[in-house]
Amino acid sequence: MRKLIADWFEDRAGLGSRLRSMREEHLPAGPRWGYVCGSALLAVLLVQAFTGLMMMTAYSPGTPTAWGSVFFIEKQMWMGWLVRGLHHFGAQTVMVLAAVHLLQVLFAGAYRAPRELNWWLGLVLLGLLVGFGHTGYQLPWDQKGFWATKVSTNIAGGAPVLGPYVKTVVVGGVDYGNQTLTRFYGMHVGILPVLLTITLAAHLALRYRHGLKPPEGAPTEPPPGGWTATYFPDQTFRNSLVVVAIVGLLFGLVFWHGGAPLDAPADPSSPDYPARPEWYFRFLYQMLKYFPGHLEWVGSIVVPGALMTTLALLPLLDKVIPSRALHFLACAGAFAVVGGATFLTIQSFVEDARSESFQAARKKADAENARALFLASHPDFGVPPEGSNYLFRHDPLTRGAALMEKKCLSCHVMGGKGPEGDENAQAGSDLKGFGSLAWIRGLLENPGSDAYFGTSPENDGMVEWKKTTKLTAEQLDQVAEFVAGFAAIGEDQTVDDWLNTEGVADHPGYDPFVKDCGKCHYVGGAASEITEGGDRDAPDLFAWGSPRWFRRMVRQPSHDSLYGFLEADQRMPASPPDEMSDHDVSMIYRYLRGDYLK
Amino acid sequence: MNRRDFHRLGTWALGGLVKLAVAVPAVAFLLNPLRKKDGTPAAEAFEALVPLSELKVGEPRSFGIVRDQVDAWVKYPREPVGSVWLIRQPEGVEPRVVALNAECPHLGCAVGRSADGEGFYCPCHSSAFDAEGKPMNRIPPRPMDALEVELSQDADPIVSVKFERFRPLATEKIPLA
Repeated sequence: MRKLIADWFEDRAGLGSRLRSMREEHLPAGPRWGYVCGSALLAVLLVQAFTGLMMMTAYSPGTPTAWGSVFFIEKQMWMGWLVRGLHHFGAQTVMVLAAVHLLQVLFAGAYRAPRELNWWLGLVLLGLLVGFGHTGYQLPWDQKGFWATKVSTNIAGGAPVLGPYVKTVVVGGVDYGNQTLTRFYGMHVGILPVLLTITLAAHLALRYRHGLKPPEGAPTEPPPGGWTATYFPDQTFRNSLVVVAIVGLLFGLVFWHGGAPLDAPADPSSPDYPARPEWYFRFLYQMLKYFPGHLEWVGSIVVPGALMTTLALLPLLDKVIPSRALHFLACAGAFAVVGGATFLTIQSFVEDARSESFQAARKKADAENARALFLASHPDFGVPPEGSNYLFRHDPLTRGAALMEKKCLSCHVMGGKGPEGDENAQAGSDLKGFGSLAWIRGLLENPGSDAYFGTSPENDGMVEWKKTTKLTAEQLDQVAEFVAGFAAIGEDQTVDDWLNTEGVADHPGYDPFVKDCGKCHYVGGAASEITEGGDRDAPDLFAWGSPRWFRRMVRQPSHDSLYGFLEADQRMPASPPDEMSDHDVSMIYRYLRGDYLK
Repeated sequence: MNRRDFHRLGTWALGGLVKLAVAVPAVAFLLNPLRKKDGTPAAEAFEALVPLSELKVGEPRSFGIVRDQVDAWVKYPREPVGSVWLIRQPEGVEPRVVALNAECPHLGCAVGRSADGEGFYCPCHSSAFDAEGKPMNRIPPRPMDALEVELSQDADPIVSVKFERFRPLATEKIPLA
């Protein structure tokens, strides 16, 4: 029965005999380790295709969704880290094997007739593989891929004449965005695979037409009794051993790393992301440092292009230059290029390891990376519907700190430090712990210190008060505790509502507050008559330290109820809503109050 | 076993090993949706819908269920997830309010009120139900899915519903995980 079906297929498709002829290919010099490279490359390419297809069922190209879907694959899906890890490290393995395969063919002189066509097809395949690596690198839309792609497409854009147009077409516009992702995705999973399949099919067909290149001195006539070694199973056994070793190494890398890296979501506004290409492009990256900016394209396009052209011309040069001399030159050149690339790669990594600014930027990026993964996987946070680019905008710790640095730390300080530890011309209070009991108690103890009004001497009301006040330390504790409670006053609460709340009028700090602080400060305006006020100009303390008070302080610091009594140039500058949204103000507030996921 | 047999066996075994190593994670990856999700607290919660006084006895009213929803990697705050019919029962009858999931137990279309106003009717495949959600023809496999109802202690109690969805076509109520 089995034979019947096999014969039926054989008659119609001729598949069996064709496969058999491939399996029974004679190996005049026996099976060789030197023959395994192409097969190993093919095997890893198949792993790439397979894991890639798996991820296509879960990946979603688009700037709001790409990072989230990759995060989902990597961190939430069953064995997603393994599938993506194999694809990630598989891509690097492909690059290594392709380079080894190329060198091996070069050293064997297998570019010579009759294998010229296959040599050229191999070079085309190498170009396609680089295309795969390049387009795949940015699909996660994380910081690493985003910046690396931005740099590499800008390099292409710097080429003379056509460069800018090519770049715009590839990127899908002037800016990097949804079209960049859909185009790169389409290239990576559609266009390139089709081209690769066609080219690879031709490459393999020609390989069978010409056979494997036997080593010199191999017998050309079958020995008496016929050939003993055939491709299957003698060569396939060696291939399988090597493929098992390589795939085993792949698994090892994935397990060791726990998957593939995923950086923080792409943020075009980050000021100091230390962009680096994948390690196999490092030599190009490093080489570019030797070219002045306007000649960038010489280093990035002309040099690699000349190299590829030389390789492509080898079979033709073979006809005009003595074959052995050319081969010697080609091999020497290859050694020089490999040596140079290795040197540049090491140099690049050593430079980074020694650069303090790179290490600092990398450390910051790593911290953001960890924070992004923490937020995305937290059940109370998750990737917001607006997209992964908004992940940090809802996080007081990152967003609040960044806004503080930009908007507040030109005058204020945090824990004695200005932006990134720089000295600033401090002209405001230290906001670390703002509104907390300790902060208020510190103010009541020493209002003239640099942490409070020491750097704004024109604002001397509290300092003057401290000279004359007769409150005891215990009373100051009570007042501080009482004032710290103002932050809990809600958005819609009126002064009367508040006074009638339990623990306000009967708070031990109430009386000393009204009698002592109340000489200057109003609470809810003069009309509320809680305090007498008016001895000196002072801000109204109703709801002091609450979100509503804070928002008004940001929007209208010179309001009569706040610091309107200061001279115009002594007041804090206002931030209108078009400069800082209510959402951002609340991010700063929550950051200062430590109200974020930890 | 001679050398060639060993090679033959080795090729099959090693080749199979590699294929298996890649196929296992791939299968797991594809079967990911079958994995039980760990405790979704939202599914356990009761949704407050309406004060009892706003419901008229015997007259069903439909309410959308809006809740925080996790869709793969995205967390949507306040996303519509379905709707329920609330039917207030006459005084003295327990429970005081019946809640029916508006999702048809047949194939999941949205069940509306029937033309005569007496019961419910699904426009997709003509499933018909009476005012209590019992099947009126042989199309639906089971009655409309009754949901747990809770009334608050207020003078005018707030009606809350524990929104759950069940497997279509099954004759029993089997919760969707």
